[in-house]
Amino acid sequence: MDYTWDFAVVVGNLPVLLRGVVVTLELWALAFPLGLALGLFVGLGRVSAKPWLNGPAIAFVEVFRNTPVLVQLIWFYYAFPIILGQQLGPFSAALLGLTLNTAAYCAEIFRGGIQSIVRGQWEGARALGMTYAMTLRRVVLPQVGKHMLPAFTNRGIELAKVTSLASILTVHELMYQGRLLSSTYYRPLEILTVVALVYFVLIYPGSYLSARLERKLRLRD
Amino acid sequence: MNYQWDFSAIVKYADMLLLGLAGTVKIAVVSIVLGVIVGALVALARMSANPWLRRPATAFVEFYRNTPPIVHFFWFFYALPIVIGVSLDPFVAAVLALSTQSGAFYAEVFRGGIVSIERGQWEGARALGMNYRMAMRRVIVPQALRRMVAPFVERSFELTKTTALASTLAYAELLYEAMQVNSITFRPMEVYSAVALLYFITLFAASSAMRLVEARLTRVS
Repeated sequence: MDYTWDFAVVVGNLPVLLRGVVVTLELWALAFPLGLALGLFVGLGRVSAKPWLNGPAIAFVEVFRNTPVLVQLIWFYYAFPIILGQQLGPFSAALLGLTLNTAAYCAEIFRGGIQSIVRGQWEGARALGMTYAMTLRRVVLPQVGKHMLPAFTNRGIELAKVTSLASILTVHELMYQGRLLSSTYYRPLEILTVVALVYFVLIYPGSYLSARLERKLRLRD
Repeated sequence: MNYQWDFSAIVKYADMLLLGLAGTVKIAVVSIVLGVIVGALVALARMSANPWLRRPATAFVEFYRNTPPIVHFFWFFYALPIVIGVSLDPFVAAVLALSTQSGAFYAEVFRGGIVSIERGQWEGARALGMNYRMAMRRVIVPQALRRMVAPFVERSFELTKTTALASTLAYAELLYEAMQVNSITFRPMEVYSAVALLYFITLFAASSAMRLVEARLTRVS
């Protein structure tokens, strides 16, 4: 334990880490809304009575939930371009993998929410002449939105952590920049510790607010 | 889409992939066992009335819940050896990362189960003359265990998927072996699809089996 810490290398390379933070935020800010939107459609497919919608939706959700995210990212980077017939950049491959993964988990949240609404409400809306989309927008989602919120914020937190795996595809996000610096300066202890702390600072406010929100919603019920 | 599939490479190197699968199972089992021990200790500390125990335990849990697993893997492999002056082999570093991380999550599972038991149970046990330890062992824990089963199983699945990150430290688990096979055969499509399928079958089979066990354990007797 007579190691002398030296954070000068971290301070001197702060812009390098900050560039990584920006890419991490980009990945998150794109994959999360895209995953939510796609998740809604997959979730609707999951509750559909039509087998040609229901079957593929189940397969999609199960495949993404029962394989490691890292394997998905590697598959989209190295294998998918072969069927596509076109090279995918690391950022696009990572974004695609993260979005589809988030969509699979969000689909299950939407499914749970939609199924919690009693059938009578659907029938009532139909009787009032509402279409499927209108019923969903005006009757179903407003009621379940509140209850699904904590689950979605948890997904956002998970996604923030999982963006770090894009470093394996050489996306220059925070983890990648940290590894680059640590192998350049041979100071892994300081640099990796700082990278961990930066992630904590980025993610903790989200999970703190999410826990508070969850408590508040539970008290109101 | 005129790609010529060729699975002969997978068949030829199937023994490497199976070896990798064995590595995945090994690291998952060791980390689950150690994670449960860490989790139980941390949960006890978190519920302690002594702030010197409670605060570090809370910090431990929050740190692991709000930082990405890949950072833990790299930290234990590259940074920790500098502090302790001994280099760790990939298996040990990966097990340390996985078991401390899952320990933090298991601690929340255990604590959540115990906290969910109604106050009346404690008061009843106290009224019967039981002290804290007796009440815990005979009244609280047996009831809490049943509520812990589902989240415990879910965490163990997350952990098993996270073992894929050990490939980044060159530990010979399934994904790492797949990367080796890929670098020999240059067949990423077949290799990574087969690996995704292997993970899927393993996890899906395990989750189906666990659902049966869960149904039996949580059945109200």
